[in-house]
Amino acid sequence: MNPPASASPIAASASPAALTRRRFLQRSSAATAVVAAPQVVTTKLFGQSAPSNRINLGLIGAGNIGVAHLDTLLGLKDTVRVLGVCDVDRERRESAAERINQEYGGKDCRPYADFRELNRRREIDAVLICTPDHWHALNALDAIRQGKDLYIEKPLTLTIAEGRALVEEARKHGRVVQHGTWQRSMKRFHDLVEFVRSGGLGQLQYVECLIGANNRHVGATWQPEPVPEGLDWDMWLGPAPWRPYTFNGCHYNFRFIADNASGQMTNLGAHCLDIGQWVLDADRSGPVEIEGHGDYPSSGLFTTPTRIDVTFRYASGVPMYCRTDLAVSGNNTSRFFGERGWLDIGYSKMSASDPNLLREMQAPNKRVKVPSSKNHYDDFFAAMRTRQRTIADAETAHRTTTVCNLGQIAMALGRKLRWDPAKEEFIGDEMANRLRSRPMRAPWSLVADLA
Amino acid sequence: MASAKSPSPPPVQSLDAERSVRGASYLNRTAQTPDPWKLCAALEYGGDRSFATAVEQLVVQTAPKDWPKLEQQLLSALALPECTAAGRAFLCRMLALVGSAKGVPALAALVRDPRTADAARTALEVIPGPEASAALRDALAALSGPAKAGAIGSIVARRDTAARPALTRLREQSAEPAIVRGTAARALQYLPTT
Repeated sequence: MNPPASASPIAASASPAALTRRRFLQRSSAATAVVAAPQVVTTKLFGQSAPSNRINLGLIGAGNIGVAHLDTLLGLKDTVRVLGVCDVDRERRESAAERINQEYGGKDCRPYADFRELNRRREIDAVLICTPDHWHALNALDAIRQGKDLYIEKPLTLTIAEGRALVEEARKHGRVVQHGTWQRSMKRFHDLVEFVRSGGLGQLQYVECLIGANNRHVGATWQPEPVPEGLDWDMWLGPAPWRPYTFNGCHYNFRFIADNASGQMTNLGAHCLDIGQWVLDADRSGPVEIEGHGDYPSSGLFTTPTRIDVTFRYASGVPMYCRTDLAVSGNNTSRFFGERGWLDIGYSKMSASDPNLLREMQAPNKRVKVPSSKNHYDDFFAAMRTRQRTIADAETAHRTTTVCNLGQIAMALGRKLRWDPAKEEFIGDEMANRLRSRPMRAPWSLVADLA
Repeated sequence: MASAKSPSPPPVQSLDAERSVRGASYLNRTAQTPDPWKLCAALEYGGDRSFATAVEQLVVQTAPKDWPKLEQQLLSALALPECTAAGRAFLCRMLALVGSAKGVPALAALVRDPRTADAARTALEVIPGPEASAALRDALAALSGPAKAGAIGSIVARRDTAARPALTRLREQSAEPAIVRGTAARALQYLPTT
């Protein structure tokens, strides 16, 4: 028998208490984590400009994406305060903290070399996780256990087993989770989902997700290099298998190394496949059959496919294809083909086989309604205050990330796989089931208590 | 249209003739072709890994009925004196895909050594059967500190309820470092009671 993919949840330890705002955010138990659809309420309604009503955030990972978040968050002074920045790269954490303190005119924001210290700062209500993929689950589990809500970058986790463990832990502790699949908070995607689900394209025939390839070649061999001053390389690796440092194997490019991520399948795929999942009403399930092929570099530092071609089949019979298309390099788009024509919707463009389809798509009052969000941050902050679900909650995030990981496993094995979305296990393929999880480098694990 | 001065196209070689040439070339090289299993064992970080890629393709494409033969080849490579850290990590990752109880004794020896424990757990954590579970439980007595905490994580990943008594002792053992006692305590929260 194979070990199960999921980990058992631990009991929530929260108890009823006087509901000060801070206490409410930090100690809300599973009992207070309601399951209704999100209600988008602009944060201005909460009177949050009073310091005691502001949400205090910690940023874990101050690289490209973390700094991009910071650019926005520093403009929301009335709503949030960033009180801590963690990065294993000293220059990154110190420059980010300095920038924040200059912006706020104080010294409240502290730099942290270890995420566990940031997670244990009591004033912090929520953390933004922007670390490399192999760290996501452990950063999140520790934060959840410390009573923090999460805004976590995509993909949710590195493996299917990690994702299920995160979902269960967040549920037991009643924590709010917002996944970084922000396209769910764009009106065009919301319109698309309601339109297609209402039959706007007639019978939906197939979905096609196109993603760019920027897995550039860096040679068939590489040289270990000295670790740069100020970078804690052992902590950067964390639960990932050990390897020596090399410049191209660290910041940003980690996503093309299979020990740390799964390439564009989970990077850009997390966006366009997420929209496919939403349209297909599969946020609590997923495909039942997956077949894929990837072009893998035969040597060199990068180990994820340079070109992908995966077919996901759903129980409804509608297939979703995910392919590399060099014409959309660095971008992604989702196309929906139905009896009445097609829609091609990306975050920077949209087109259709007939302009009338776009007009109909954007018209109000569709038959099928789905939850909406006008802004991904506001949706998160509102959910933190109301303990409602976010537009991209933990289970939704896990299901989308699972689709990405199913594609990655199908390409790695190069054969058709059958998947049971309810049990989260492959049917009749023991090797595939062994790939649902990855052992972690000591001392890290899903139950590690290293505080 | 080709000009009068254009060179003549090369003569078309029959497919059979091409195969004949390639076959002869291949046969001539065979004597010098290195053993890919040995090359996998001697893998270095940053070195050419094309032979490892070929072995990985062989592993993922092999039908379960042929896994025992493959497992034996992987175990033989793992036992080579020239096996490097990178080679061991690769071979254990392949054993994670096709390994069985047969491979557990070799992995059990590796998991008891903190220098090789992480690689061994890569395979032991997912190899089905009680033998792998027992190897991880037994390793608790040999390991200490971070490596022991890592082994506890693998035990929980396998949902090995037979480890509850050992984990309970670790949780209560004041001589153990906090990292081990804390991880054991949390492991007991995760593991089913039956």
